[in-house]
Amino acid sequence: MSTGRKLRLLLLLIVCMCMVLTSCQSVGKEEKKTSLRIGISLYRGDDTFITNLCNLLEEKAKEYERENGIKVTLDIQDAKGSQNIQNSQVERFISLNCDVLCINVVDRMDASVIIDRAMTAGVPVIFFNRQPVEEDMNRWEQLYYVGVDAKETAVLQGKMVVDLYKEHPEVIDRNGDGVVSYVMLEGETSHQDSLIRTEWSVQTLKDGGVPVEKITGGIANWERSQGSALMEQWLLEYPDTIELVISNNDDMALGAIDALERAQVTDVNIIGIDGTTQGLEALANGSLLGTVSANKEAYAGAIVALAVSCALGEALPADYPLVDGKYYWASQEILINQIEENQ
Amino acid sequence: MIGKGGRWLIILYVAFLTVLFLMCSTDLIIREPERKIYQIAVIIEDNRSDNYSNFRKGMDQAAKEFNVDVHFITLYDKADSGQQMELMEREQQDGADALIVVPVDEELVMGKAMTIPVVFLQPKIMENPGDGTILIDYERMGKLLANEMQNEIPTDCPVWMLTDTAGQSGMDRLFLKGADAVFSEKGRTVFVTAWDPETVLRTAMSALGENEKVVLFAENPEILTEVSGLLAENPIAAEHVGGLYGRGNTVPILNSLDSGRISGICVTDDFSIGYLSVRAAVQVLERADSIPVTADIYYIEKKNLREPDYEKLLFPIE
Repeated sequence: MSTGRKLRLLLLLIVCMCMVLTSCQSVGKEEKKTSLRIGISLYRGDDTFITNLCNLLEEKAKEYERENGIKVTLDIQDAKGSQNIQNSQVERFISLNCDVLCINVVDRMDASVIIDRAMTAGVPVIFFNRQPVEEDMNRWEQLYYVGVDAKETAVLQGKMVVDLYKEHPEVIDRNGDGVVSYVMLEGETSHQDSLIRTEWSVQTLKDGGVPVEKITGGIANWERSQGSALMEQWLLEYPDTIELVISNNDDMALGAIDALERAQVTDVNIIGIDGTTQGLEALANGSLLGTVSANKEAYAGAIVALAVSCALGEALPADYPLVDGKYYWASQEILINQIEENQ
Repeated sequence: MIGKGGRWLIILYVAFLTVLFLMCSTDLIIREPERKIYQIAVIIEDNRSDNYSNFRKGMDQAAKEFNVDVHFITLYDKADSGQQMELMEREQQDGADALIVVPVDEELVMGKAMTIPVVFLQPKIMENPGDGTILIDYERMGKLLANEMQNEIPTDCPVWMLTDTAGQSGMDRLFLKGADAVFSEKGRTVFVTAWDPETVLRTAMSALGENEKVVLFAENPEILTEVSGLLAENPIAAEHVGGLYGRGNTVPILNSLDSGRISGICVTDDFSIGYLSVRAAVQVLERADSIPVTADIYYIEKKNLREPDYEKLLFPIE
């Protein structure tokens, strides 16, 4: 053997040795997992719908733990409306060896950092409630989304009023002038659901033959206090005019109720979306006419079931069929106050 | 043609590169010092975490500062001391370095032998408080609330103390005991009754005379929230209620206090308690001095809800 060949052989041996030594570090015995850790980051911990959902996630995780004997640890963090904070939380989750991430992304247009980090670490991500753009969702097969179909929500909200108007027009057209004058409380502009809910709820009213006239509208960012402030202002600007308040969610609807109570105005109908605990209380006591409620049990159940399947590397749960292998849409229903009570 | 010296140079060069590679990409030659991240599990007495929102904020703040990995664990069933002890055992086996426990039953749970440090949030003064103890004296809290109620409600107005049918924790029991002691001393009529909406708000209240009023005392935040919500929907029952009192600082409770449906509440600084409990656990693990802490108790009404000191306490910012 020539010296050149010996040298090349030596080089090859050294390279092989390096590869073996490096790979030795990460080689471990594949064992069945007895515990799972799920990192959950919420866009804002003070959002009522998200808080309700989060409580259900805890319940579902405990249910799974009890039934299967696999310990499930939920690490829940509040991103306080900051994408930067959320990105740091994701890094921390990954460094703490979370098996899967459940992310209620702050900025749906800016999920790429989270996806990059998760892809690098090989940690699957389940986004929920705030849907990242399709381009991002298609970057990796281990990305999922759980939410509700925003158009369906809006159509149901509109349908609730259409049906009521057909049966009891006097309940909706409170002043009997043949036109339903409404105001619109909108969620934040960057949320996909806000735009769709606003557009399709009104479109459904029009398609359903309800004569409507928009008085005004405003963005209250899903918040009760902002909804209340806007309603207070509108009551002063348009006294005795508003017959219906269409709200993109229950929290803003509750804000409108607060303003109406303060102004001692009673002849205004308010409809919301979400079916939060507080919203359902308002529905029960008659201050809210109706709401569209997602099946939150299924919503939370799908997130936990998907997370567990991803973490254990099992087949995705058949109980929660995915659309396009990525999306789970929770079912929704109309909850409406009894007309007799409302009249 | 490479000479003999040249070959050796190449070999040395390759060896040098190999050593560099091993140094940079593996920890076979240079081991980076590992920073110890303590695993601490927090096991509360409840099956829901609603009442622990400020506590968790304080806990998370301390976790960041002291480089701790905190797991927050709720029970499957409320106030089940056997289950709580099983979870303590499980966490110990799973490698937790320390535990923070809000005991369901202080005598039973605190008597459990553990090989890892346990910081208890003690609901009463005990002889041997143990390292890193945080004391929240619920008996004193009950007394404070009852004394404040004595100043506000008419002397002939009876107090209905509502107890939890889902299970009474040590905190509930001591809170009730403290209040009952004050009312007994002052000669006030007290009825202790299991909280059931139908029995209390319909049957019992409908038996009251037209202008007869009672004062309601809820032994825990869950009952306080539920009673407040139901009274808002039930104006007939609300007419017979001369006041609603209890403990807790959840958002629904504070909203009800603000709207006047709840007359007064006793609270603690939960953010600080969460922070201090994690700090105490770290101090015990690092064998540093850890002085037992006694939590302050505050009485809050609608009129002082917006005072800056109370706002900071009730709505802490991390």
